[in-house]
Parts: sequence; structure tokens; C-alpha cells
Amino acid sequence: MAKIVKKGTRGAAKAYITRSAAVKRLQCSLADFRRLCILKGIFPREPRHKKRANKGSTAPTSFYYAKDIAYLAHEPVLKKLREHKAFAKKLSRALGRGEWSSAKSLEDNKPVYRLDHIIKERYPTFIDALRDIDDALSLVILFSSLPSSPRLPSSLIESCSRFSSEWQLYIMHTRSLRKVFLSIKGVYYQAEVMGQTITWLVPYMFTQSVPADVDVRVILTFLELYQTLLGFVLFKLYTDVGLVYPPPLDISRDEEAAGVGAYSLQDAGPTNLGPNHRSKPVDVDGNIVKGRDVRKTIKELAAISLPSQEILASSILLPQTTTEVAGEDEFVSQSSSADIAALPTLHSITQLPSPINTSLLAPFTFFLALGSPRPLLEFVIRSFGGRVGWPSSMGSGSPITEDDEKITHVIIDRPIPTVSVLSTTPEELRRTRKYVQPQWVVDSINAQRILAEGLYAQGQTLPPHLSPFGEEAHAYVPQTGDLDAADLILGGELDGEEEELEANSDMSAANEDPADPLTAADLAMKAAAQSPTDLALLRSAELEAERAGRDTTEFESSLRKAFKKEDKDHLNKPPGLGRSHEAEMNKMMMSNKKRRLYERMKFSEHKKATERELLESRRAALRKEKTKELRKAVRGGLVVKSA
Amino acid sequence: MGVPAVPPKAEASGQKRKRKNETNGAPELPSFGPLGMEMHSDEENAAVGSGDEESESDHESFPELDTRDDSEDDTSDEGNDPEEHDGSSSSSYLLEDSEDEVDVSQDDVVNIGPRATTILSKITGRPKRVYPEIVPDYDSDSSTEDDPNRVGNIPMHWYDDLPHLGYDIDGKKVLRPAKGDELDKFLSTVDDPSSWTSGFDKLTQSDQQLTSEELDIIRRLQAAEVPDASYNPYEDTVEWFTGKGKEEVMPISARPEPKRRWQPSKWEKQKVMKIVRAIRQGRILPRKPTSTQPQFYQLWATPASDHPPPLPAPKPPLPTNAESYNPPAEYLPTPEEKTEWEATDKEDRERNFLPQKYSALRLVPGYDQFIQERFSRLLDLYLAPRIQRKKLNIDPDSLLPQLPSPQSLKPFPIFELLRQEHGSKARCIAISPDGVWVASGDESGLVKVWEIAVGREAARYQFESRVGSIAWCPRDDVNFFVVGIDQAIHVLVPPYIPLAMLITTLALLTPVNPPQPPSSSSPSLKWVASSTAPVSRSPSPLLTIHMPPSSSLVKQITFHRRGDYLASISESDSVWIHQISKRHSQAPFKKIKGTVQRVQFHPTKPNFFVATQRYVRMYDLAAQKLLRTLQSGIRWISSLDIHPSGDHLIVGGYDRKLCWFDLELSEKPYKVLSRYHSKAIRSLHFHPTYPLFASSSDDGTIQIFHARVFSDYLTDPLIVPLKVLRGHKIVEGLGVLEIRWLRDRPWLVSSGADGVVSLWCN
Repeated sequence: MAKIVKKGTRGAAKAYITRSAAVKRLQCSLADFRRLCILKGIFPREPRHKKRANKGSTAPTSFYYAKDIAYLAHEPVLKKLREHKAFAKKLSRALGRGEWSSAKSLEDNKPVYRLDHIIKERYPTFIDALRDIDDALSLVILFSSLPSSPRLPSSLIESCSRFSSEWQLYIMHTRSLRKVFLSIKGVYYQAEVMGQTITWLVPYMFTQSVPADVDVRVILTFLELYQTLLGFVLFKLYTDVGLVYPPPLDISRDEEAAGVGAYSLQDAGPTNLGPNHRSKPVDVDGNIVKGRDVRKTIKELAAISLPSQEILASSILLPQTTTEVAGEDEFVSQSSSADIAALPTLHSITQLPSPINTSLLAPFTFFLALGSPRPLLEFVIRSFGGRVGWPSSMGSGSPITEDDEKITHVIIDRPIPTVSVLSTTPEELRRTRKYVQPQWVVDSINAQRILAEGLYAQGQTLPPHLSPFGEEAHAYVPQTGDLDAADLILGGELDGEEEELEANSDMSAANEDPADPLTAADLAMKAAAQSPTDLALLRSAELEAERAGRDTTEFESSLRKAFKKEDKDHLNKPPGLGRSHEAEMNKMMMSNKKRRLYERMKFSEHKKATERELLESRRAALRKEKTKELRKAVRGGLVVKSA
Repeated sequence: MGVPAVPPKAEASGQKRKRKNETNGAPELPSFGPLGMEMHSDEENAAVGSGDEESESDHESFPELDTRDDSEDDTSDEGNDPEEHDGSSSSSYLLEDSEDEVDVSQDDVVNIGPRATTILSKITGRPKRVYPEIVPDYDSDSSTEDDPNRVGNIPMHWYDDLPHLGYDIDGKKVLRPAKGDELDKFLSTVDDPSSWTSGFDKLTQSDQQLTSEELDIIRRLQAAEVPDASYNPYEDTVEWFTGKGKEEVMPISARPEPKRRWQPSKWEKQKVMKIVRAIRQGRILPRKPTSTQPQFYQLWATPASDHPPPLPAPKPPLPTNAESYNPPAEYLPTPEEKTEWEATDKEDRERNFLPQKYSALRLVPGYDQFIQERFSRLLDLYLAPRIQRKKLNIDPDSLLPQLPSPQSLKPFPIFELLRQEHGSKARCIAISPDGVWVASGDESGLVKVWEIAVGREAARYQFESRVGSIAWCPRDDVNFFVVGIDQAIHVLVPPYIPLAMLITTLALLTPVNPPQPPSSSSPSLKWVASSTAPVSRSPSPLLTIHMPPSSSLVKQITFHRRGDYLASISESDSVWIHQISKRHSQAPFKKIKGTVQRVQFHPTKPNFFVATQRYVRMYDLAAQKLLRTLQSGIRWISSLDIHPSGDHLIVGGYDRKLCWFDLELSEKPYKVLSRYHSKAIRSLHFHPTYPLFASSSDDGTIQIFHARVFSDYLTDPLIVPLKVLRGHKIVEGLGVLEIRWLRDRPWLVSSGADGVVSLWCN
């Protein structure tokens, strides 16, 4: 006989532990437990059988892995939390007794925990940390824009804004921004750092306040962790590109609202040259140059107030060129070795990611007119190599003034004034510059080419701004680019013609069909229409038509008709007929599990399809309306002309 | 009375006192010692004696500590000690005590009781209060009053059964006080205003009025106050031992103060010196900087532990076009969608925002839910359970079983060829073995016999009540069918049969000398042959089996493959097996668990299947034993059929399930097809020759299946759904009630609740 197993010593009962049991086991308060869970990244689990995990009870509780909790039990942070509890008691006692000196010494020796080991534990490699940085960035950037309050001390806000500026500086320096999306929630940025895609969300510049239904303590704990994580990640990123971390902050410029310009990126000198390394004396023109002289010269150079951005720009260009060279080298070596290896096929080329032009805006100089969002545009333009200036009322640190002749684009987010306001810019300058709306910059970046400015000119109705992140598979894809008015009118006429044609053909088909059987050419055409992507079928259809002695134009029109008819058939076919009907019948032979899965998949597919159809029908309706209006307008114009 | 030794601090006072006594010249030694120890209360100030007063005042003015003279101490101690043990001193003390009492009573303002007179004590010479003698007359005592309780404080239930309560002084029984009945009690509660403040006293066995004090206690208890009215919970503190003038003056012990009290500690010095030395040597830094470690450093420079990293949290989905500040116009919600979105709960919304379109970036307002959404993301990160799910990236159609196309499995019925109308619900049908005739019965008692090929009605039989079932004899040499009506089974002969066949049929049914039923046959069941002449088109039955009167409608009749035996079940759960040739009927089961739904003979073996509500039981008729019980899992079995090979069985249920049993395999179904009919399954039938079976349901449809059974045991039976036949209407929730296949053609006859009997052809 098998050994009798005591209940609750094996399986789910052992593997899971409820939250209250965990708190009891760790002998800490619930708040401390929550803090630990946040810091250590421990989250509840869903046992497969709740009843088995909870000693037969089905009460709603959250479960944790018992091993997770066991690891927590000897966590240094937990020890520190306990120490802090004792410290708080001691301090309150000292304060209550009025023992100020002992209170002070207690306060000096207050237990403070560090999260380094937790970061290392949760992210054993740097790439792991980088991959998980999205939420940290979003939260830290959100907090950098919040007003300080007793619950959110200004030191916290400052540190958050520092991290967000450092991150932006790094992205601009390495030009790793890839995509930008202006949404109703804020601006989504996507960057690619060390092969990791990082997306973060920045709210628009409005004062926000923490709502009452949000638990600030939870957010602050997360912020604690995220600040540490970001600090280590940024340290690594900065030192890897040879910059000093943290970048020094010029307080006076910060007070003048220079934004990210208040920080200056410094190249870290050669590090760790070794103890027995002796620098060879450098001699210039026979004089031995000493370290003192060098420092002096640097000071002199720094005294010449160059805009920091220019230094940046020059320093930015360097890695860019080197990478390009490296790329060429690689290509050359590949081509030399490609004699034996297979030649690159079309497929492999299309599979490769298209190279991203990070100096897309390099040839241009931008000036932000009053009212355009400076932090957004400055970050985006500088990330793509452009130069930006802004009026002094939008903060100091602008490298160019408004009357600079190099300015090619003025970004303006204002309607065209009805009364011509006296502009400070001279007329010839106005003519050489292009006045565009902010969306132009973002759309150009997402499209990876400079778009025509005409559509985005000041006061124009902007074309829709689409998500650069794409949609889900099989979702509705909106038509890119608005159709021209003439195009619409022509297209509409074409549609009308086609409708007539169709009606005719339907009638003729009804007349003909029973009478004469389909010719080979017709059949071939039908086959081609059924698979529109297959070029071979199309070709064969053409050949058949030739054999039947048909004209090419006739063939083309009939082919178009066939395509249309096929589409219509496809749409009109009811789901209960044909193949799908058979599938319905076969469904009853499936096991329950499989059938449920099948039905779930079908349901989601159907849902997606209906959504797509809805959007498509709406688009068609909108288009029709627009066409009608345009036609009316055109007709009205013609009438006026003839009159 | 033990007096403690005078502590060293007191000796000075003693000394002083002594000096004072000397100055007075009247030393009162006997009272000295005790007074010094006892006087602690204020009252003593009132007890004034001339000599004592002086000593009192001495006591009160605390002497200064003087520890210089030790020798004097000793002498005073010696002087004090003998007096303390003096007997006279104690007596004087007692006397004084009594005097104290007198004083107390003098102080009191209110006098209760007999008046006291103050006289001068002869012994002490002090005034003393004397109370008058108590004279034992009637006024002085209340003992002669009639005490209602005669028995003392005993458990009164000892007297429960007795009419009296104790005895009076004469030894006579004292009767219980009269107790009124319930009415009196009630009246007293109404009349007597004080009755609600009275309670039953067990000792006197009568109602006693509660005194005002008792009522007050009750009131206080109800109000959660202290029950004692005189108790003051907020009394002023009496400072017995502390406060002004109460300082401890006498040392507790005579031991000299130890040196350590005023000398600095050696160990403390050693400890401090240890720290000082450590500081000097630099082992302890007094105000060292809080941390030498930089805040951020190359964390990942050191090699990582070989623990696998925890799985990263899933990233939120990326925003789509709908979230754009300037989306294409088709994304904008209609007003209805907007109101619907606003009406749904926050958790149930598909998107947490409404698409909006702004013509310029400057018009975009701040997003008010920003912090909430970030917060909910954080909550997700640490509160939401995560499950790693394998995402199935497959085409759902690949899950469908690969079955041969129905086109390749022809022939099977696909259309309705002809229909025969009945006035009411066509309940049952039977097809002649030669495939020429169909007999169909309906609820009004009409049985029609019609030709399959053309639908021509050949005969009709009208019975009094509804037709329960029809079955056609499967024999080839005779031709007759049986109809179950009420509690009878009628044997009928169809018209237009060849003469030779008619003769053999008549010979079988109405022989010249009918066989005598064997003695084992049930006497309650009667076989009655019709007396009328055997005419071929006779509307009356040739033979009738009258079931016992207790049974009800015959709901199923099924023939054995040889055609001699037929089994019938009634709605009252009685199963009968009749033998036509011997006119013999028997009930094979004494008692059956559950209600019998269907019975069926095995096509080749002497086995018999009985389907009760939940199980199908297989009996061996020859050995008369239960072979196996098939567990279908169906809640309520409605139909049953056996494959012509005899190795497979299908069972249909009212809960829309169909179970296929492989009798060789297991007692559990090989395959369960559930809910392919949207309503209850009514009838099932295997085609006798083609690999087909059909099921009909209350949803008005008939499903045709291809069912191929392989003779080797390795290949599973192949079931392919072929066709859904629609055409019957649903009447009162009933659809197609019975289906039958033709024997040698893939044709199907179905009878529906709409009164139509249809023929379905390929």
C-alpha cells in the first residue's frame, strides 16, 4: 500500500502561500510587504486549482509562490525595514523625552537601505535592465513635470527631472530616437538603444495634480526603484559612449528655463591608464607643454561662449561617420566573401530592416515660433541632427536668433492671422523660409523622408497623423495620404461608370450564361481574378485571350470586371454556405476543448473583421460625401465660368 | 506588636526629643515609644495631651540629619529599647485608642441612635462617652415581630411539593401565602400601579415591593453606573505617603551609604578608555561620512549570478491610429458609440479613451486620466497575477478535423421527394421489409399504409386513441405489422399482398387450432383473435394482445430479427416479450431500476438492450443475466439503435448528446457528439445496409451521418456528418419524432409533429 501522505505537505498546498500568510511569515506590516514586493518584483500567481492551494477554501485571496516569500525572508532590505521600525520607536521616544542630542545622533545613524543588489538581482545583465526601462522612464518623466507638494518633495521632482533630461541628452547624443507619435494622451517616443526598443510616454505640458484615488505611497516606492534603475542604466550608457556621468548642471541656465541645455555633456578623459604609465612630454614648437598649460588653454576656450549645442553637434557627427565607415567596411568584406556564398535574394533584402537615417533633419535649421511646444520639438529635431532656435521668451540657450539667415523652416502652430500683423521678420527672409506645423516634423521622421511642406503649411487642415507603431494584424489600415480632389472626382466618375458597366454585364451574364458555356479564356480570367497576386495565372489568362482573338483593351476591361465580380462574390457569399458550411458540420466532430478554442479564435477573428468592416464602410461613406461636395463645387465653378 | 528598630535617621529626633523631655521636667516615658511610631494621622492633632503635644510638634518639625555623633546614637537606642517592650505602654495605648473613638463621635455633627453621655474616665481621667444600657423590653427588640420566613436561608424548592412553608413556634405548619391564579396576577399588574416594581421573593414565597434603594440600584445598573449610590468614583486623591509634609525622613536601613554612590565607576572608565584608544588609533571614526560608496557605479561590471533572471513584465500594447490627436475621420465615434462608451463601466471598456480629432497640436488638452493610467499600470505590475500563456499562432481552420468530403461519401438522402399529410402529430412509422409500404400513425388514432414509390394511400385504420408505436414484422414469408394502441397491441395485415403470402400470414396469425399458451404465461395478458372473417382489407385487427389493465400506452414495439418475437414497453415501465407463433407473452424482468426508455434486440446474438433514463443495460436472454451496463453520461436517454453488425450502439438523449459505444471497447462512449442539434434528440436509426445513420431532433432537422465500421479492431469507426435535412416544422416544441431508413435504398422516411411524413431521397 502506498504511503499515506499528510494533507498540505505536497503539491499546490505547499507551493503557494496566501498574502496574509506571507505577511505573517515575514513578520512585517502589510505596507512593508507591499514595498518589498514592488522592489523585488514579486507578484501574485494564479494557482491552477485555487481550492488545492488554499486548504480547501475558495475564498478570494491572492497567492504567492512560497519560494518567493522564502527568498524574501532573508532580504537585506527587510532587515533594514525592521531596523527602521526600531529606529522610529527610538526616535519618537527620544523626541518625547526631549533628549535632543540622542535624537540627533539617532537621526544621523538612521538605517538606510540601498537597492543596488536588487537591481543586479532583477537585471543580471545590462540588456535586461535596458529592456525593462519603459515604465521607469514614463513614470520618472511624469514626475518631473508634477508640482511639488508636502507628499512630493521638491528634491524628488528635481531628481526626476534630472533623470529625464539626462535620458533625453543621451538619446540626442547617440541619435537613437526612431519614432514619435502625437497621441491624445501625450507623446510616445520610441528609441533604439543597444538593440533594445524602448518606448516611453511624455505627457503634454500641462500642470497635473495627483488625484485622490491614487495611492501615492505605491507610486513613490516604484519611483524609488526606478530612480535607482535609471541611475545605473544612465551611468552605464554615459560611460560607454565616453561621457561623464552625471553631466554637470548649470544652475543659472536652468533657472532661465534652458531645459536640457542646462546640462553640459563632458567627455570623460582616458581612464585607467595604469600605475606605471608615464605620459610622454609633448612638445609644441620646441616648448614642453605641461598639464597646467593645457588646463589654461581649455579654460580660455571655455571662456569663449560657444553655444553648447554646436559642441554637441560636432561631437555627435563623429560617431555617426565612424559607424557609416564601419558599415561600408562590412559591406565590402561581405561582397568579397560572397563569391561562394549565396547571392542576396530579393526576399533576404526585403527582410532586412531598412537603415534609419538619423541625420534626416541635418541639412535644416529650424526656428520655433512662439506657441509651438519647445521641449518636444527641440528633442525631436536635435535627435535627428537638425539645429533649433527659439525666441528668448521660450527660454534661454537658443543658439540662433530669429533673423538668422540659415533658418530654413519655421515651425508655427498658430492660425493665419486675419489682419496682417506687422512681422518682425523681413520679407525676403519670410520668402526663403518655410512655415510648417509641428506635425510635419513628426510625420517626416516617422516616414523617414522629408515630406512635402505644402500639406502642413500654416493654417492648412492637416492630413491625419497615423501611429508609426502600426496596427495589429488584420486590423483596418487607413489609406495613407489624402487623395487629391481631382483624383477623387475622377475616381468617383470611374466608380459610376463601373457601376453601370456592372449592371450591364450582370444583365448580359444573366442572358448569356445558360446559353453558351464559358470559354477557356473566361475560365482563365476567372482563375486569375480569384488569386489576384498570382502573376502566372494572369499571364496565362492574357495568352488565352489572345488565342481567342480578343483585343488587349477589351481584355483589360473584362479582367477588371472579373476582379470586381470576384470581390463582390467574395463579399456576398453567406457564411453558412459552401466550405464554411462543411466546416460547421465538421466542428461537431471536434472535442469540446478544441471546439472551444476554435470558437474563441473564430470569435476574435470575427470581431476584428467587423471592426475593420465598420471602419471601411465609414471611410467609404465619408469619401462619397466628400466627392459629392467636390463635384458640386466643380460644377458650380463651371457654371460660373460659362456665365 | 512588633516595633521596628529605630532607623539611623530617626535617632537624631529621638535625641532631640529626649532633650526636650528633660527641659519639660516631666518625662512621660511609657507613652513615648509607641507614640513615636504610631502617630501618622491628622486626627492625632486633636487628641491633645500636654506632654504629648510637645512631642508631636517635635515630630513634625523634621530634624536635620546629623551623623557625626555615633556614640549618642547608641545610648538613645539603649534608652528606647526597653520601653518599647514594656507591657504598660501597650495598655496605655489601648486606652488612648478608646479615647480616640470618643473624639470621633464628638466631631460628628449628626447623631444616630441612643444619645451618649460624656463622663470623665476614672482610669485615665479623661472625658469618655457612655451609651445607655439596652433594656430588653418590647421596644428594644424586633424579635417578636412575625418573621415571614420560618425556614431560614435554605433552598426553597425543598418545599415545592408541600402546601406549607416551615413551622411556627408551636410546631404547626405555616401555610404558604395565598397565590392568585394567572388572572389575578394579570389584574394586579393592571390595577396595582406599584406591581411592576415588585418581585417574587423565594424565601417568603410572595411578591415583595422593591425598596427605593433597590430600585435605585437597578436604575444604576441599567445606566451602567456604579451600583453603590454612595460611592464616588472621582474622589480626590488622598496623599498618604507623598506630598508636602509626608516626605520620608526615616532611612530604611541603617547601612552606611556605599562608596560607589559617589565614586566614578571604574568599569565605565575602562569602557570609555577603550573607545578613546580606538578613536586615537583610528579604528573608530567619530563623524565619518555617511557612505563612501558613490550613488551610481558600474553595476554590471561584476559577473552576474547564474540565477536566471525573472521574466520581464509584459509591455503595454503600443498605441494605434485611434489614439492619434489627429486620426482619420473614420475612427471618430458616432454619438451613439460615445454614449455607449460613457455608459459602460470603466473596467468593461474596450479602450480607455475616446478617439478625438484636433485640428492643431496646440488645441490638444492635457489628458486627465494620465496619472490614473500610470498608476493602474503600476498596480498591474505588482498586484496582478501573471500567467505565461502560449500564444497559439495557428489558423483556426487547422483545428478542424480532416474528414472526407461528403461529396465522396454519396449516396445519402439530400432532398424531400414526397410527403404524406396527417391531421395531427405523426408519431410513429414503420416500413415493410420489402421497402414498398410505409405505415404511419398519428395522435388521433389514424394509421395509414401508403406506397413509398408514389405516396398513394392503400389503407387507413382508425383507432379510438392515439397510436403509440408501429412495427413491421421483418419476416419475408409473412407480411403483417403491429400497432400499439392504449393497452393493446393489434396485429394488422396490409392490403395488396400476394395470395401465397396472405395464406401463410393468416396461417400464422389465425391458425385453425390456436396454440395453448404455456402455463408459464402471464394470466393477466390475453391474446384475442378476431372473430370476423379474415378478409384482406379488413380494417379490424386479426389478433390483439391485451396487456394487463394496470399498464398504460404501449410506447415502443420492436421485433426480433427472426420476426417471431416482439418486445413492447408501456409507459408504466413494463417490458414484455411476446412470441407470436405460440401466443405466449412473458415479462423478462421482475423489476427494473429506473424508467425504461427503449429496448432493442441484438441483431445476431440472443442479447437484449434496455435503456433506462441514464444507463443502457445489456442482458443475455438465454443465460438470463446482465452482461454489462453502458454509462453514456446522458441525463435522459431518448433513443437507441444498434449497428447491423451488432458491435456498435448509438444512444441519443434529450440533453442533445449522442454517444457512440463500441461494445468491444469499453462501457464508456467512444465518441460523444454533443449539441450538434439545438434541441433534444428524438430518434436514431442505423441504415440496415448502407454505412449511414441519421438522428432527428426537436429543432425540426434530421442529421445524416456517414458511419463506417471496420472489421479489424485497429481502425476506429469513421463518423462523418453529411447533411442536415430541413423541412419539418416545429409544433408545440416538437420537431421530427421518428425516422426510419429503407432497407435497400439510401432513403429515409421521417414523421414530424407537424403531421407530415416525408420521404427523403438521394
